[in-house]
Amino acid sequence: MTDAVARGRTCRLAAILGLTLIGVVGVVLPLSLGAALAQPAATEPAYRTVPLLGSRLAVWAVAQLHLNFAAFILGVPIFAVIIEIMGWRTGDGRYDWLSHELVKLTFAAFSTTALLGAALLFLFVGYYPRFWNFMTSIFFSTYWVYALLFFAETFTVYLWYYGWNWLSGPLKWIHVSLGVLSNLFGTAILLVANSWVTFMISPAGINDAGAFTGSVWTAINNFTWMPINIHRLIANIVFGGTICGAYAAFRFLGAQTAEERARYDWMGYIGNFVALSAFIVLPFAGYWLGREIYAFNQTMGITMMGGFMSWLWIIQAILIGVLFIGSNYYLWLGMERIPGSERYRRYIPIMIGLLAFGFMVWATPRSMVITLQEARTMGGTHHPVLGFLGVMSAKNTAVNIMILTTFVSFMLYRRANKTSTKPWARTGMAVQWFVLAVAAAIVIFYGVYGYFVESIVRIGFSVYQVGAVLGAIFLVMAIDIPMFKGARATGEIRWGTIAPRSQYVLILLAVTFTWLMGLMGFARSGIRQHWHVYGVLRDSSVDAVTPALGYAANVITVVTIAFFALVMFIFWLGGLSERGPEHTAAHARVPALAGGSDDPA
Amino acid sequence: MRVPVVVKVSLVSLLLMGMYTGYANYIPQIQSKPPEELSLEGGNVTTAQLVRAGQEIFKTKGTCEICHQIGQKGTRAPDLAGIGARAGKTKPGMSGKQYLIEALVDPAAHLVEGYPPIMPKVDKPPIALNRSEVWALVAFLESLGGTVDVTLDDIPKTVGAAAAGSAPAELKLPGDPKAGEAVFAGKGTCIACHKAGKIGASPVGPDLSQIAKIQTPDYIMAKILNPAGMGTVAGYQPGVMPPIFGQTLTAKEYVDLVSFLLTLK
Repeated sequence: MTDAVARGRTCRLAAILGLTLIGVVGVVLPLSLGAALAQPAATEPAYRTVPLLGSRLAVWAVAQLHLNFAAFILGVPIFAVIIEIMGWRTGDGRYDWLSHELVKLTFAAFSTTALLGAALLFLFVGYYPRFWNFMTSIFFSTYWVYALLFFAETFTVYLWYYGWNWLSGPLKWIHVSLGVLSNLFGTAILLVANSWVTFMISPAGINDAGAFTGSVWTAINNFTWMPINIHRLIANIVFGGTICGAYAAFRFLGAQTAEERARYDWMGYIGNFVALSAFIVLPFAGYWLGREIYAFNQTMGITMMGGFMSWLWIIQAILIGVLFIGSNYYLWLGMERIPGSERYRRYIPIMIGLLAFGFMVWATPRSMVITLQEARTMGGTHHPVLGFLGVMSAKNTAVNIMILTTFVSFMLYRRANKTSTKPWARTGMAVQWFVLAVAAAIVIFYGVYGYFVESIVRIGFSVYQVGAVLGAIFLVMAIDIPMFKGARATGEIRWGTIAPRSQYVLILLAVTFTWLMGLMGFARSGIRQHWHVYGVLRDSSVDAVTPALGYAANVITVVTIAFFALVMFIFWLGGLSERGPEHTAAHARVPALAGGSDDPA
Repeated sequence: MRVPVVVKVSLVSLLLMGMYTGYANYIPQIQSKPPEELSLEGGNVTTAQLVRAGQEIFKTKGTCEICHQIGQKGTRAPDLAGIGARAGKTKPGMSGKQYLIEALVDPAAHLVEGYPPIMPKVDKPPIALNRSEVWALVAFLESLGGTVDVTLDDIPKTVGAAAAGSAPAELKLPGDPKAGEAVFAGKGTCIACHKAGKIGASPVGPDLSQIAKIQTPDYIMAKILNPAGMGTVAGYQPGVMPPIFGQTLTAKEYVDLVSFLLTLK
């Protein structure tokens, strides 16, 4: 079977998938909408009820699924264009192949995302008409911008994908520009959609009587808009990286040849590398968002961190702890396939200790789950010693130390098979360790000082802590890159020989990060409590109760399973083009990796 | 037999998500319920009932407990133990109840030294206490070491005016006010009992000429469909308005009618 035939079959399958989903949206939804409209409209003017599920659950599930796919089609192309640029500049064909492979995966996801978006729109229009009318009265002009951007992005991605061969060689810069352009359109879509969501959290342009008196720009440029833009953009890159890693792991585990294993081992490493690079700056965006929420409304901030949602952050801590430990474990397993890495094994127990201690601190709750008798014996629900670890000061300190540790892990991986030949290498390394120690000292200082100041001041300290960590990372890398330029290699990376359990770590990272996205979606929505638009448009429906974490977790899990089931189907579609006896590589030749390669980082 | 990769990967994923879900179900399960409206206007209420209602508001709808504690100094807000006794001595020329009312509806007017200006106005959204609730809350605070002497008349009538928060004042319905006016005067037969600006004159029901100014869209919508359930305006006979409009009007006529009523300001 030729590649063109295979591609044609893939396209046909994608079309079948698309038509099936259109069928679901086009037939089932109108039927349920019909049922909704058949309800006496005059008796339920503000809300209608989705049969069986209930309106809130239906919107929740579709919105989370839509957001997951949106993150997929925004995150993976960002990741892909970075990889393509790396390949273009270094002349390494592996990157071009990987980039093409990733863009292929986003294709089927594109139509699924659009269909889920349409389903979400139908749900709002049909079941939350009062809310929808209110939002439309403010944001109507942005709907047009959104639609036009979506068209622009779709056709640019089409051109990017189908022009891979056409725009190669001296025209490669045009092809890369198309990739960049499609990502700019994608990011612009994200900014528009975020303006709606963030207006619901922190509405701007509202007078004392609760009426909107501002311009569209006032509504868009609300307190949480820019922090969420940055947070989601970074998170999408992490998501793209973890999904790429999971895809590579899936293919690695099913690989039949050593060459195939080597190729997907390398792909998994790149996915984890990009995800990890973005992940370590994600907390900074999170702190900024938290600070803006406090600045917008103290009550909302306090409710979020210390009110009914306080336990949510313990679950978040566990998930992020798993992500940190998983990423580090993957790097340590990866070092086993690098000759020369034995020199750094002795640091691993120290790093395990730091990560485990940070994890324990971060996951320590302020109030314990205990019986009344136990509480009386202890003198309250706060443990007399461990209770001090349950507050933000301790947790911020722990996560920043974990970020620094992860960076050290990556630094050791990077130099695993290299020995610097620079005469100043010894001094350089001493300066690097000094910078890291200073950053750790700043983090600990503000962590301790935070116990003695107001929460509004304390949340500002987190910016200094992350600033110190990011500054240290920047300085250390600024020394590291020239120090290891032209370094003597102690051996070549044996791609494909990594332990298979490492691939389950990549799966763990993707599943955990996706679940975490669902949890953060619940947090973002839940902090509004019984308001559609906080302080302006009250939720007076039967679903106005914000559910407890157990219920939320059940919903998140079901939706995450649905998401991965669909993603697995897309992965399967992605693999179809390689089946058949006469398969040949289409655009970029599949690179041979087994036996040697330079460190791609 | 070799287990397919897809099965192994799925099992690992399900196990992982099961652990997260299990933990989330194990920890304390706290829901956030929407607060209920308290209305004491026109009703007989004892001091003890008033204080109890205020205490409930302090803990729930008022969200006071997030920052204030009683008998323990907080980092965000002052200890309220004995506030009933202290309030009268805080600002010269101001009684205890006046000070407490001001502290609730205009907290920035007088800040306790050492605390940041973070307290929201309790009668404005998102807390949005109504006049009765502010009355009860002041009574509760007075009871903390002082004498409860606040009456509903002490609470300014402007307090809680923006408390509804149930709909934006500028809510735009997809109805046609012109067509709604026709429904008002025609099929709806509203004109038989109500006055609305230049049309209608009967004194059977309240004058609706400024209904959009004094009532929320939610109230107007609900009143048309369930007149008895929304209470009767003082001075008018209960049970006169028929509960049939949900059946007799089409959805379009209903929305048009509401749109017309919302123009009456």
